[in-house]
Amino acid sequence: MAVLEDNIMMQLAENAVKASLKKGAQEAEAYVYEGQATNIGIELGQISKTNRIIDRGLGIRVIVNKTIGFAYTNITDDPQAVEKVAEKALSAARASKPDNDWRGLPQEKLYPKTKRTFDQKIVDLTSEDIVKIASTMLDAAGEVDKRVFPVEGGVGGGYISGAIANSSGISGFDKGTIIECSVATLGKENHLVTPVCFEFNASREYNLDPEWVGREAAKLAASAIKTRSVETTSAKVIFTQFALQELLGYTLTNAIKADNVQRGQSPFKDKIGEKVASENLTIYDDGLFESGLRTSIFDGEGVPHQKTPVIEKGVLRNFLYDNYSAKKDSKESTGNASRAGYLSTPSIDTTNFHVIPGNKTSDEMLREVDDGLIVYFLQGAHSSNPVSGEFSVVATPAWKIEKGEITHCSRGVMLAGNVFELLKNVNVVGCNERQMGSLIAPWIMVENVRIVGK
Amino acid sequence: MKDLLTKINNLATQKYGAHYAEARAQKLNKTMLTLKEERVEAAKQGIENGVAIRVLVNGAWGFASVGSFDIAILAAAVSDACKMAKTASVRLKKPIKLAATNAIEDKVVSKPKKNPADVQMEEKLKTALTINENALRFDSRIKSCSIDYYDLNGKSFFINSEGSSIEQDKLCVWARITASAMEDGAFTFSREEIGSTAGYELFDNQLPEILGEKVAKRAIQQLSAIPPKGGKFPVVLGPNVVGVFVHEAFGHLAEADLALSGGVLASNLGRKIGSDLVTFYDDGTIEGTFGAFKYDDEGVPSQKTLLIKNGVVSGLMHNRETAHKFEVDPTGNARAEDFRVEPIIRMRCTYMAPRDQTFEELIKDVKTGYFFKSFRGGQANLDGTFQVGIQEGYEIHNGEIGVPVRNASISGNALETLHKVDAVGKDFMLDPGRCGKGQIAFICDGGPHIRVSEVVVGGSA
Repeated sequence: MAVLEDNIMMQLAENAVKASLKKGAQEAEAYVYEGQATNIGIELGQISKTNRIIDRGLGIRVIVNKTIGFAYTNITDDPQAVEKVAEKALSAARASKPDNDWRGLPQEKLYPKTKRTFDQKIVDLTSEDIVKIASTMLDAAGEVDKRVFPVEGGVGGGYISGAIANSSGISGFDKGTIIECSVATLGKENHLVTPVCFEFNASREYNLDPEWVGREAAKLAASAIKTRSVETTSAKVIFTQFALQELLGYTLTNAIKADNVQRGQSPFKDKIGEKVASENLTIYDDGLFESGLRTSIFDGEGVPHQKTPVIEKGVLRNFLYDNYSAKKDSKESTGNASRAGYLSTPSIDTTNFHVIPGNKTSDEMLREVDDGLIVYFLQGAHSSNPVSGEFSVVATPAWKIEKGEITHCSRGVMLAGNVFELLKNVNVVGCNERQMGSLIAPWIMVENVRIVGK
Repeated sequence: MKDLLTKINNLATQKYGAHYAEARAQKLNKTMLTLKEERVEAAKQGIENGVAIRVLVNGAWGFASVGSFDIAILAAAVSDACKMAKTASVRLKKPIKLAATNAIEDKVVSKPKKNPADVQMEEKLKTALTINENALRFDSRIKSCSIDYYDLNGKSFFINSEGSSIEQDKLCVWARITASAMEDGAFTFSREEIGSTAGYELFDNQLPEILGEKVAKRAIQQLSAIPPKGGKFPVVLGPNVVGVFVHEAFGHLAEADLALSGGVLASNLGRKIGSDLVTFYDDGTIEGTFGAFKYDDEGVPSQKTLLIKNGVVSGLMHNRETAHKFEVDPTGNARAEDFRVEPIIRMRCTYMAPRDQTFEELIKDVKTGYFFKSFRGGQANLDGTFQVGIQEGYEIHNGEIGVPVRNASISGNALETLHKVDAVGKDFMLDPGRCGKGQIAFICDGGPHIRVSEVVVGGSA
C-alpha cells in the first residue's frame, strides 16, 4: 500500500483539531501516524517467516476547563470516524478531573533540519532484498565455529511518518526510515548450552553490514562455551553498550525526567549544577543527532527537537522536559515528549541519549585492566530500584580480563551496587561509540564494582 | 465478517498457491487511565479495527496486518503475504508443517457481571482515585502513587482454510498500582497488579481502599528494611515469587519454540529435572483468570497442560507448528496480542501444584535464611539462568520470620534450583501479570509457598 502523502496527513490532523474545537474543546491537538514495515524472521537457523504490517491512526487530545481527554482510532479514511474520535476525547475530558497545573498546549516554533534520517531505498525494499541480507548474515554466523548455531533473528525495513497539529498554531510533518538486522546465537557442546548471544545493526539509511553481525554474534557464543568461575571481589568492569543500556535505562534515564524530579522520584532533585558523576562523563540528549535512531524534527507534541546537555564533565546540567512539566517549572520544553504512535498521550523520554566518547580504543581499554571483567549482556536490570539506583544483576555471561587480555568466560556472575555510585567511578570512556535504541555510547570502564562469583 | 474473511482465505489458497490460510479480524475498544498522585494525566479511549492474515506458501509463513476491513486493501495484503512467503521459502531446508486439528465452529460470548463497556468513565476514575487516596494518606512518608488502568472490550473473528470459524468476545480489566516512600535518603517502592478476564466486578473482590493501603504499607515497611547478605541460603518463597519463578525460570524454557531454539528443555524431555515435589501446569481454562480463553489464535481449544510431574518433564507448550515437529497435539498456546502481530507460543496461567505443608512447617527448620514474599521483576535465559528481584522479603532466624530486607534478588540455574525444592505448601494463590516476548500477553502465575534448600541471594551488601 502506498504511503500517505504529507499533505493528506497534515490535512487529517488539522481537520481533527477543527472538529474538536467545533464540538467544544478549548484546546485540541491531533497526531496522525503511519508505519509500514516489512520483516523477515529467522527461526531455528532458517528464514521461515515474513510479515508486512501497515498501521495508521489518529490520536486526539482535547482540553476542557483544564481537564484532559484523549481518544484514538485506526480508522482514518472515514470522516465520520474522525468526528467520533473527537467526541470520545471530549467525553473522556468531561468525565475527568481538572488539572490546575495545566498551562496550555505548546506554541508554534521554527523547526530545525535533520540529516540522514530518510532513505528511499528502504521504502522501496523488496522481500528479495531482505532475504538476501538475512542469508548473508546467517551464512556468516554459520561459518565461525561448528559448535555455534544461529537460532533466531530477523531483518526488517520500515517507514514511519507523523503529522501533528494543535490549536496554538503548531503544524508539522516528518518522515523517516529505519532498517535493522539481528541474529541470536547459541554455543553447544555435549549437554552444555551457552546463554543467548546477540548482535545487530540498525540504521536510518540502507547501509547494514549483515556479515559483521553474523560473524560477531557467532564469535561471542563461541567464546562463551568454555567457562571457569570467578572469585567474589571488587574490580574493574568494562560495560559494553548492551550492558550500559540495561543499567542506565532503568535508573539514570528515569532520574533525569522532569516529571519524576517534580514528583520526588529522582535522586537528582535540587542537584542541577552539582557533581553527580565522574568528570570523565558527559551526556547529551540529542534529538537532532545526525542519522540517530531517534532523530526527528519535532517531538510528540510538535516541539522542535534539540540538543540538551544532561551531564557535562560529571556536573548535572538539565532535566528533560515535555510541555507540561516545563510550564510547571516555568521553563521551556526540551522536546522530550515521546509518543507510541497514535495510541498514547505524550510522555517524557530520552531521544538519542548520547554518552560523549573519549579517546581510548577497545584494545587500549582492555590493556588497562589487570584483573577484571567485561560484560555484554545483563539480566535483571529491570528489577533495579529506579530511585535509589540499587541493582543486582546477573551477567549472561561475563568474560574475565587478566593482564589486559580476555581469558575466559564465566557464568552466573552477579554484579551488585548502585548505579549512581557507579557513575562516579567511571574512569575510562572509550571511543568505540555505537547506537543502540535510544543510547549512543562507547564502552565505559568502572572501577571498584562489586562482583559476586559463583 | 465470515464471508469477507473466507473470500480472503480463498484468494490465498486458490489464486496465490497457499497451502493454508487464516484470517483474524478484530474490533477492539479500550479505556485507559493514568493517574499520578491526585492528578489524572489523561483519560483515554481507543477504537482499533484490523485484520491479520497468515498464509503458508511452500512451507514458509507470510503474514500481513492492516487496519481495515476493506476488501480491496485485504486482497492486496493477502497477495503481499503470499508473495513474501514464496520469496522466503527459497532457502528453506525444512518446510513448516502444521499438526492436524479439528475444524471448529463456535461462538464464545463473555458474561461479565459488570461489563467494563457499560461502566461510565466517571466510575472508573473514581475507583482509580480511591486507590490513590488510600495509598497517599496511608503514611506521610508515601511520596508518590501512580495508577495505570486498562480495559478491553471487543470481538475477534477467526476463519481458516480448514473450515474453522470462531467468534470470541475479548474482555479484560487490568490495573497496576505503584507507590514510593522516602525517609532519611532511603527510597523504596512497591507495586501491585490486578487483572481479570471476568469483568469490572474485579473491583468488588479487590476493594480499591484495600489495594491502596496494601501497596503503601509495603513501601513503608521497606524503609526500615536492611540489605540482605549475599551468598547461598535456604529460602521460603511465597506464591507470588513461586509464580514468577515458574513463569520466568521454567515456563519460557517449556515454550516449544524456545526449547527448539536451543533451550535446555528440548534435551530433557522425559527426564527428571527437579525434586519429586515439583509439578507444574500451564492452564488456560481457569475461568476469569488473566490468561484464560476458550480458543487460541490458531483456533485450537485452550487446555490444562502438564509440564512437569513429580520432577519429570512431561510436556511443552505448543502451537500447531511445533506440535507437528514434536509429533504431539497442539496445546492451545498460540496467542497474538492483537491483529498487528502473529500468534506465537505464550503461557496462560502457569503454576506449581500444592502439596501438604503448612507455612509454619516450611520455615521451622530454617536456621538462617530468607522468606521472599513478593517479586519486583524476573528474567531468564535459554540456558536456564534466572534472576528474580524481590520487593518484599524477610530474614528467617531459627525458624522465625525476622526483619524485612530490601533490594534482594535470587539467581541461579532453573534446573539446579528445581532439584533443591525440598518442601511444598498446601496453600495456593494466583497473581495476574503481563509477559513480554516481542508482544505483550496477559498471563497468570502462582502456586503454594515452597522451600528451596539453597539458592544464591544477591543484594547490594
